Amino acid sequence: MAGEDGKDKVAPRTTEGQRKLDRRDVLMGLSTVPALGLFGYAWRKQNQVKQAAARAAVAPREAAAAGDVREVNVALLGAGAQGQVLTEAMQRIPGLRFRAVCDIWTEYNQRRVVNTLKRYGHEVNGYVDYREMLDKEPAIEAVVIATPDFWHAEHAIACMKAGKHVYCEKEMSNTLEGARNMVLAARETGKLLQIGHQRRSNPRYIHCHDKLLKEANLLGRIVTVNGQWNRAVAADLGAPDRYAIPQATLTQFGFKDMHQFRNWRWYKGLGGGPIVDLGSHQIDIYSWFLGSNPTHVTASGGLLYHDPKTHEWYDTVMVIYDYMTPAGPAKAYYQTQTTNGSQGYFETFMGDQGTLLISESELNNPGSIYRDPNAPAWDAWIQKGYIGAPVIPEAKDEEEGASGAIADVRESAAPDRHKVPVALTDPYHQPHLQNFFDAVRGKARLNCPAEVGYESAVAVLKVNEAIESNTRLAFRPEDFKVGGEA
Amino acid sequence: MSQPDEESGLRIEGRRARDARRHSHEAMHTVFEVYALHPDARYAAQAAEAALALTQRLERDLSRFIANSDISRINRLEAGEATRVSLETLECLVIARHMFEVTDGAFDISIGTGLSSIELDEDALVVRATQPGVRLDLGGIGKGYAVDLMADVLEEWGLRVALVHGGFSSVLALDGPVDGEGWPLTLSDPAAPARVLARLSACQTSIGASGLVKGDHIVDPRTGEPVRGRRAAWVAAPRPATRGQAAADGAPRLAVTAVTDALTTACMVMSVDEITALCARSPGLEAWVLEDHGQDGAGEAGLRHFGGMHSDGPVALQTGDA
Amino acid sequence: MMAETRASHWAMVGITVMRVLVGWHFLYEGLAKLTADSWSAAGFMKQSRGPFAGFFRWLASDPTMLAYSDTITMWGLSIVGACLILGLFTRLASLGGIGFLMLFYLCNPPFIGYFYTIPSEGSYLIVNKNLVELAALVVIFATGSGTFAGIDRIVHGLWVRKPRLARA
Repeated sequence: MAGEDGKDKVAPRTTEGQRKLDRRDVLMGLSTVPALGLFGYAWRKQNQVKQAAARAAVAPREAAAAGDVREVNVALLGAGAQGQVLTEAMQRIPGLRFRAVCDIWTEYNQRRVVNTLKRYGHEVNGYVDYREMLDKEPAIEAVVIATPDFWHAEHAIACMKAGKHVYCEKEMSNTLEGARNMVLAARETGKLLQIGHQRRSNPRYIHCHDKLLKEANLLGRIVTVNGQWNRAVAADLGAPDRYAIPQATLTQFGFKDMHQFRNWRWYKGLGGGPIVDLGSHQIDIYSWFLGSNPTHVTASGGLLYHDPKTHEWYDTVMVIYDYMTPAGPAKAYYQTQTTNGSQGYFETFMGDQGTLLISESELNNPGSIYRDPNAPAWDAWIQKGYIGAPVIPEAKDEEEGASGAIADVRESAAPDRHKVPVALTDPYHQPHLQNFFDAVRGKARLNCPAEVGYESAVAVLKVNEAIESNTRLAFRPEDFKVGGEA
Repeated sequence: MSQPDEESGLRIEGRRARDARRHSHEAMHTVFEVYALHPDARYAAQAAEAALALTQRLERDLSRFIANSDISRINRLEAGEATRVSLETLECLVIARHMFEVTDGAFDISIGTGLSSIELDEDALVVRATQPGVRLDLGGIGKGYAVDLMADVLEEWGLRVALVHGGFSSVLALDGPVDGEGWPLTLSDPAAPARVLARLSACQTSIGASGLVKGDHIVDPRTGEPVRGRRAAWVAAPRPATRGQAAADGAPRLAVTAVTDALTTACMVMSVDEITALCARSPGLEAWVLEDHGQDGAGEAGLRHFGGMHSDGPVALQTGDA
Repeated sequence: MMAETRASHWAMVGITVMRVLVGWHFLYEGLAKLTADSWSAAGFMKQSRGPFAGFFRWLASDPTMLAYSDTITMWGLSIVGACLILGLFTRLASLGGIGFLMLFYLCNPPFIGYFYTIPSEGSYLIVNKNLVELAALVVIFATGSGTFAGIDRIVHGLWVRKPRLARA
């Protein structure tokens, strides 16, 4: 080429105004076209990697073939707020036939749920006494229990003894004795008993546990855990005057008055206070993700704000658990308070290679994982779709890519945040209920069987004990076992 | 849920309402409030709390920003797929579809992505998509619907003297704080809130408001073009004595604030003739539109008034063809 | 006509490589915006500072103008990029690219005393990479690099009657 420099500029002209296009002109003219081809190749490759990551991120949904599911006859025992949430979620599960609803508040909750179910095309009967329901509705195969905690043991055991499978809301029971009897009843009757720690069936939690922690070990060694559920002050629950339950009925079912019936969670002997109502869900996750039960618990709490006349349990609780995980010791903090809703609820797992921030909410903190700057690169896990590409920090989101020459944020010094690319697309509680009914049909194993629920109850109920005694309490490994296990 | 920086220009005048206890709660990107007068303040607070708790439950079903809401699941449907929804979601969709017909497409929860590609099975509570790609946004109706349900709860609790609103863009006044008088409300220019354009006394009345602060815009779903020259719209309608009874002609059950909420959005984009016609065939419906200065026939204040021959019965909304 | 020196030949090769690289960058910026779920220049323009901030903010606030700006940016960057790579209408494409970069530069100029939140891998005082890339396009424009190695050479050979020399 160098020898032909003179030809580079202009082809020789034959006559004035007429140029001849020679081979060299064509070659030089097309010489940069391959660069466009190369661009196209790179573009395609880039998109393929992105699409593969996106595809991998979409968890394969178990397509429940609507046609061939066996119909299951269901009853709802406890039609309060939680019972209504579960009823709504169950409307989306194919193959369920509601037969009965049992609740002592006939004029309000029972009537409401019965009417809703009728609107959905279920022929249901309402009952006040669960024993009458069990007697008169032999077709029932499964009972979903959402009564106050102090009723769980009696209700669940009676249902299993009557030959029903049981989905029981957490807390399994307000006493360890009740919880233990539930485990024993499940073993004795051979019936299924699923406890309502619904995060155990949440696809995001399963993804984090199975893929991010166990398979990819993205956090490295988890040494500390932090979590909370904070709620703003809320008025006590009340009831419309005209729908008050007769005092005789209230007394029969263990409630002092209408106020206690509506606010049973605050009363000793009925519920367990916020640490049990809220903390139980998340402390269950601590043990699940850490792969072990705690060895010690230290806790402080008190009734700092609410009226002691109507509140018996602690409205503020702070807990530290000690764990001896398979990888080594760890400590986990948890707080719940009911005077300020700041930051809501979440769990944070901190390892030497990264941090996982997760919550059940699809709106706030649904799932982020942060890479420690010293950890190995995570590109391979992004390509596999386990985690999202690094997220540009929130405040800067809108400027991203707006200019022709804006820098790549991955080179910035801030720690990378990656989204956990798995969302719950069904209503809350639905996957856990689905898991239960799949198990009833013999197509799945329970995600939170009685034994797992029991372990969680042991860890959580001990907190109130630790606050009361104001000492650090130890767990023995056998505390988490119900005797006589196989 | 979607309107940015909405400024409704609707306010309660403080003097007489100040005795009413106020309870508020944030949901659907706005603040819901209950004003209630009851001899037992604690009872009223509990009733308000029960009503406000509803907004959170509805948001879980109706918000397009929550991945597992009914609306998000509908928005993800491929052609031929279906999903079961809550009673409330379905009712809201039925009303929204009726409003689409009544306003000749000026109110469109699909924002032009094709409301017709969504089939509602009212018996099975199932929503089916015939085409992929529909994107529903109940921002123009969800707040009003929530306000209707909240008022039902208050009545169930026996609270008659109350006013419920969501961000003052959806207001439902029950009985007024003083015997025989309604809740004193003002309509004012959203750009200059001190400039009161009209005063209303609202009793068993629903009022929807839609307004823009400078720099925002609202898009006509029929053309995809932003609307110019209009700053605010208000629509009022009497609350039917009993909700839940089917209106004539197969029209959906009348959740009146869902209706006024939807109609204000429509009135921001409908022509003067269209609004006149709508009010003419819907006795009881009353509307105000605030035009930018210089619009023909809008008067110096820029406020146009439509309808307003009060009837005691519920608003009967007919489509243009009817 | 002056016989070219060895140095100027290699200079032309270098400029051509530079042209392809700048074109590549433009094309990817354009296509990435076109294929993004919902890209808009609104955020970039809303945080505009400097003497033209008022203009850019007005562009961002008016929905019609914003829609035009977005479309022109997305397609403009892509077309300019493809033309630069191919050496097709090189001068026109260079001018277009200069225009875009000038706008980007003026929208958020790294002047003394301005603090930006744009994620940034470097530090800039008055001169930023937009300005450097703009200067590169000025060189490409001045040399008409497409008639050296690019489709422009064929176009000129076929249609341009008047002899034409690049004054490098």
